[in-house]
Amino acid sequence: MVKEIENENVEHGFAMIKFDGVSKVYKGNFPALESIDLEINNGEFISIVGQSGSGKSTMLKLIYAEEMPTAGEVYFDGKPLSRISKRKLPFHRRAIGTVFQDFKLLPRKTAFENVAYALEVAGAPNLEIEENVPQILDIVGLGDKMEKYPHQLSGGEQQKVAIARALVHTPMVIIADEPTGNLDPVSSLEIVQLLIRINELGTTVILASHDKDIVNKVNKRVLALDKGRIISDNAKGKYKIF
Amino acid sequence: MFLAIGRTSKEAVQNFFRNGWLSIATVSIMILFLYVLSVFVVIGFSANNILRNVEDKVNITIYFKPEVDENAILDIKSNLEGFNEVKSVDYISKNQALDDFKANNSDDPIILQSLDEIGSNPLLASLVVKANNPNQYQLIADYVGKAYFSDEVSRVNYGKNKEVIDKLNSIIATIRRIGISLGLFFGLVSLLISFNAIRITIYTHRQEVEIMRLVGASNTYIRLPFIFEGVIYGIVSAFISMLILFISVKFVTPYISTTVPSANLASFYWGNFGWLLFGQVIFGSLLGVVGSLIAMRKYLQV
Ligand SMILES: Nc1ncnc2c1ncn2[C@@H]1O[C@H](COP(=O)(O)OP(=O)(O)O)[C@@H](O)[C@H]1O
Ligand SMILES: [Mg+2]
Repeated sequence: MVKEIENENVEHGFAMIKFDGVSKVYKGNFPALESIDLEINNGEFISIVGQSGSGKSTMLKLIYAEEMPTAGEVYFDGKPLSRISKRKLPFHRRAIGTVFQDFKLLPRKTAFENVAYALEVAGAPNLEIEENVPQILDIVGLGDKMEKYPHQLSGGEQQKVAIARALVHTPMVIIADEPTGNLDPVSSLEIVQLLIRINELGTTVILASHDKDIVNKVNKRVLALDKGRIISDNAKGKYKIF
Repeated sequence: MFLAIGRTSKEAVQNFFRNGWLSIATVSIMILFLYVLSVFVVIGFSANNILRNVEDKVNITIYFKPEVDENAILDIKSNLEGFNEVKSVDYISKNQALDDFKANNSDDPIILQSLDEIGSNPLLASLVVKANNPNQYQLIADYVGKAYFSDEVSRVNYGKNKEVIDKLNSIIATIRRIGISLGLFFGLVSLLISFNAIRITIYTHRQEVEIMRLVGASNTYIRLPFIFEGVIYGIVSAFISMLILFISVKFVTPYISTTVPSANLASFYWGNFGWLLFGQVIFGSLLGVVGSLIAMRKYLQV
């Protein structure tokens, strides 16, 4: 079972994601990110911290190519993202699992259908879907709520569905943008433990958060942003108060 | 590809039912559009039928003096038939005119009796000329007045018909003008309303489009269920509009038939059922599909 979400075919230590002199300026705004240089290795768990507006979400959006940098280049698995055509973009997205503060579940689909959707769009055979989706929902602890619609689930449960969906096509990287922002402390802890377990099975995890307790709980590499600049990068970091 | 089509069409059906009131609202507005459109089609065709019926009764009748013989009249008939403007020329001999007259007055013994007393046939042979187009009667009448055979003509009854013809001409023109402008106006208004309803439907699903993109769905894969949904909207609206049309035709026909017997809406409806339905399904689906594709462009970031 555990093998299902384990990425055994990628070597550890390889620079999975690389920011090379990246700046991002939104129209009519001060820079959201300024000359960022950063490497995230395969298999790492990195927490990005910083006050609201410091550029965390922008950094993540550059990785899943929702935004393009104003200057510099972002590399994913060795490939420059600026070269990805619109047509190839969906394939890039399938290499990444995303989890958000607002869950972003399809409201007209059940938990099962939400998770299945990520496999359907990639053209996975029905047999694989019927086998993998219940398994992955079991892993996140929702095996008995597969037929529930998002509005019938609690916030924590909805986030678990989102994590299951992010995991189901065994992505190389999981990106979680404030995944606990809308959750109570108990659910938050569960979600973080889930992310830690996913990372332990080999998947790179990038977590953006401004929740001190959460980041301290992870106790892995911490990158601190302030006004679009990196102000610290500690391999065994704690959430800094600045 | 087949897998994608199968999955997205199934999804479209699901969405249609899970949408609830939004589907109902959009479908109702599209029904309005299709209904307005088809009402004008039905009225337009029926009006045309009525007009054609009246047009058919208009003619120029040329009565010949009693001494003109049949062969001469038949020569004139073929002369008249040579004109482009002339649709048909019918010869009515003295005897046939007498028979027709007797038949028309069979319930009036006094007239029949006085005919008997005369002994000979007092009626004249005639040619009944029909034009292709009502406004060509003046031309034909002018020709008959100056033609080589005008000496043999006893009288032309165009004068009596002239008013009817002129009136008919102006009625046709007015009905066409009003019909077309009203049809265009209502058609356009309900088209805009329908398009807006579709935009609102898509707008409420803009977050879903965003999520689909994030999960790695291609733009085509995102579009397909919306396209199929548009087709479902079109088909459902077309069938319901057809039903409402049927009810209104059934309700209105008795009133119209008593005033204008030639306007049988019900028979037009059944006679053209297939075309009406087919046209509405095509129009409705096109509206649903094109509407949602345009409305989606913004959220697909193409
Ligand atoms: N789409 C956008 N358009 C314009 N400005 C934006 C946009 N997204 C973010 N910003 C601005 O960029 C800065 C960084 O935002 P963000 O990356 O969302 O920060 P964080 O996630 O750390 O709160 C903020 O000043 C924000 O207002
Ligand atoms: Mg943010």
